[in-house]
Amino acid sequence: MQYPDYYQVLGVARDAPARDIKKAFRRLARQYHPDISKEPDAEKRMKEINEAYAVLSDPEKRAAYDQLGQNYRPGQEFRPPPDWDAGFEFSSKGFSPEETTDFSDFFAELFGQMHSARRGGGGFHARGQDHLAKVFLDLEDAFTGAVREISLRAPKMDAAGRVHVETHTLSVKIPKGVREGQLIRLSGQGEPGIGGAPSGDLLLEVHFNPHPRFRVEGRNLHLDLPVAPWEAALGAIIPLDLPSGPLKLRIPAGAQHGRQLQVRGKGIPGDPPGDLILDIRIVVPPADTPRARELYETMARELAFDPRQRN
Amino acid sequence: MTNHDIDANDALMQDELTLEQLVAISRVESTWLISRIELGLFPHVARTAGAWRLPVSALHRIRRMRQIERDFEAVPELAALVADLLEELDTLRARLNMPRPR
Repeated sequence: MQYPDYYQVLGVARDAPARDIKKAFRRLARQYHPDISKEPDAEKRMKEINEAYAVLSDPEKRAAYDQLGQNYRPGQEFRPPPDWDAGFEFSSKGFSPEETTDFSDFFAELFGQMHSARRGGGGFHARGQDHLAKVFLDLEDAFTGAVREISLRAPKMDAAGRVHVETHTLSVKIPKGVREGQLIRLSGQGEPGIGGAPSGDLLLEVHFNPHPRFRVEGRNLHLDLPVAPWEAALGAIIPLDLPSGPLKLRIPAGAQHGRQLQVRGKGIPGDPPGDLILDIRIVVPPADTPRARELYETMARELAFDPRQRN
Repeated sequence: MTNHDIDANDALMQDELTLEQLVAISRVESTWLISRIELGLFPHVARTAGAWRLPVSALHRIRRMRQIERDFEAVPELAALVADLLEELDTLRARLNMPRPR
């Protein structure tokens, strides 16, 4: 376990007043907000920033951190001395236990004890907390089911009352027919209960990895379907490879660019199954040979067609 | 590190969550969530037999609104407005098949 430099993370001096710490945090929180930041490591940086702010914005935690840090350099291996927290009274305001679980082992070791001290007393019973984890699947997995390894980090108290973050891995068989955003509730797989109380549940939130061809909305699959002008004009039977298997699709004669075709029941399986929704995209072949030019010139001459005069 | 296998074929699949379930998963105070529902800051709330039910996506909205309120000391209405814009961004990214932030 290494001693982190929270002041360096927030870019403030060690004697910075609380208002400067808040100002620095807000600037960084905007810069690294994981929903909009273009920085490649935004999520990791945001966790570090949150952790630094959770400590430095709390006078008691900051004082304890400063006292501990007198003999440590950033990055140096760190073990807290016994009873290091005597005389301090930590609060947990601001950041949720879910968020602090993502913080470093250093934070869990030092400040996690405040949770355990409150929850671990004699005769105390409490159901374990539910855990929420994301699981990323390929679209094809919704048609066949899948097995995914899921690693979970959870705080765990040892016999001495110290809190460590422990990682455990579950191999979960995901059923077919799952949808984007759906929750799979695995009973009793969350945080262990205290004093013999039952464990919490593990909730897996399903997300699909972006697919190179299909877009998913609920159980429906959307596909941009490129067609040649003569296929659109004359109608055609087009072979398609779908996650559910091959399909021969009939394009009606006179189909226009942007028209939607709907094939019922060919989306993600379920009761009812989703649909396949195709957006026709007419692709014009290039006039890059004498013969191609001749064909276009014949059409221009013989077809009384002005696309700007259509109803 | 521990490791074991789970078959989720018989697991409960949820598209909606009750108020109590949202509070338990998000670890927010129920008063925090109720006050914002009553302010109309959570769309798609259904009330059946006296119990509120919200879509699973409310989990993300809670996380975002809480962070914005906490990080920038924003009033709930402003946090909801930012959450609305981020949700719109999610929808547009999904239409473009862009990967969402993990």
